[in-house]
Amino acid sequence: MAEELLRKTFEIRGRDFDKAGETAGGIKEILTEIGVGSSLIHRAVVIAFEAEMNVVMYAAEGTFTFVFTDEEIKLEIADKGPGIEDLDLALTEGFTTATDKMREMGFGFGMGLPNIKKNADVFNIESEVGAGTTVSATVRLDSSA
Amino acid sequence: MPERTHGFKIDEEICDGRLACMRACPTHAIRVKDGKAKLLPELCIDCGLCLSVCPSSAIKATTQSFAEIDKFKYKVAVPCPTLLGQFPPEISPAHIAVGLRSLGFDAVWDFAVELALVERAIADYIEKWQGPFPLISVYCPVIVRLVQVLYPSMVDQLIHIQTPRELAGRELKQRYSQELGIEQGDIAAIYITPCQAKTISILEPAEGARSNLDGALGISDVYNEILAVTSTLGEEELQAGLMGLFYSTDVARWSASRAERRDRRQHRCMSVTGLPNVIQVFDDIEKGKLRNIEYLDCYGCWGGCIGGNLAVDNLYVTLSKLHRLLSGLPQSNPQLEAEVERRYATEDFSLKGRVRPRTTANYIGDLKERVKRVKTEEAVMKTLPGLNCGLCGTPDCKTFAKDVARGAARQEECVLLSDERMRQLREIYFRHMHASREEES
Repeated sequence: MAEELLRKTFEIRGRDFDKAGETAGGIKEILTEIGVGSSLIHRAVVIAFEAEMNVVMYAAEGTFTFVFTDEEIKLEIADKGPGIEDLDLALTEGFTTATDKMREMGFGFGMGLPNIKKNADVFNIESEVGAGTTVSATVRLDSSA
Repeated sequence: MPERTHGFKIDEEICDGRLACMRACPTHAIRVKDGKAKLLPELCIDCGLCLSVCPSSAIKATTQSFAEIDKFKYKVAVPCPTLLGQFPPEISPAHIAVGLRSLGFDAVWDFAVELALVERAIADYIEKWQGPFPLISVYCPVIVRLVQVLYPSMVDQLIHIQTPRELAGRELKQRYSQELGIEQGDIAAIYITPCQAKTISILEPAEGARSNLDGALGISDVYNEILAVTSTLGEEELQAGLMGLFYSTDVARWSASRAERRDRRQHRCMSVTGLPNVIQVFDDIEKGKLRNIEYLDCYGCWGGCIGGNLAVDNLYVTLSKLHRLLSGLPQSNPQLEAEVERRYATEDFSLKGRVRPRTTANYIGDLKERVKRVKTEEAVMKTLPGLNCGLCGTPDCKTFAKDVARGAARQEECVLLSDERMRQLREIYFRHMHASREEES
């Protein structure tokens, strides 16, 4: 059984594009300080950033939980948002419901969820339309790039 | 941790412990203990900010002298194009080349061809790159070291292409060895550098391989001599001086206007100069932003290499001189183009070794110990005032908390937490003050 070494939660506010990336930045800082290998940091940060952006773009608010065990980095992002109707479609590269405005800001190219899935060793998503979405992703410490 | 060659030495005799260097250091590599500044070598990126802010001139740059270079049979100067912008308008590239020869160099190599080759290699690399963007330039050794120390997750984004100066070193040794029938080992390629960071990158390349260059002299070390010699030159000597040099607009343009590189217009590039700006941009990249940019051309000095601390003129004067020089040079040079074509087909441009993250204190101990340190750091942080006054001898409270967590500092070194600390500081600094007053009188 994996031993939990560190746990942190971050609150993310929807529509706050100015602050977007702060949670991902915080996670990068912790992992760098712990001295985790650079490719693991990179993957965890990509996951964190994409998940954070999804909350910022679509939801009112979200909670980001970071758990570090002696075996893995677990990231769980639960939001109170519109939910996703068709999960398979949402996981297709290039599929997006982003507005033109979001794309002008450089986001919403339909790579968010696929990118999270690609960088995670274990990936899970649950969504209820009208209630919200929970994404969990795990990066194993012994996995290679 | 392995010992490193660094661009700077702090002279403890002269140091008054006035904290300026500690506060200026972008990687928090300096602590002030017992009234003296100390360098944490594994964090130093050779940027030179400490040297430029030291009020006591206690920090010296590592430079080389002519004497160290003299042992080679055949010496070739490889001047950074910044050198061209240092002189009054009547001194042309030809004057400079002759001036360098009179300093004791047997030949001068301008790297116009290597610049064009590298530009092309970069464009191709961007085209083929499958990994995360943006790719980051490696011209500036400070940027490479910054990534190694503060942005370890981005090391693979450092573009795996050699610098023009390194390519020049390789090519000129092959060329002169063949032409003159001497061993490559008897030929020295000496870079004329605008900063000490490039000296260090030659003595100890970040990629761990051996440099193709054999040393470096600062622009400020050759400036006076060139100026003195060139005022006496006739037309014939000047023509001879230009032999074998291209000095096309490419070289000057490279220095003057980094955004306008010709091969790069098809890619989404961004040019960033000045360490604080680069750090801001890198922070954004680490958070996952700026993925639409393909190539970042980054320099530690404001304005790029022309802002280097061994340049003589200030960067704006240099820039204006380079622009004037540009207007007088031919737009293109068919001979140069042909040479680029010929060499591009046959040469390998990849860096000689992989750049890896530098081992810092973060990696000491096993996983549990490291996590425990992070937790201790957070707990210590809560007891600190958050003033970032620096009187503990650490640049800010956060770094202090980190030092306490790894046993490199004691909590009682915070002046707000300990009267004893304040008393000690009074003693140390009043003693410094008295000493400097006595010197003056």
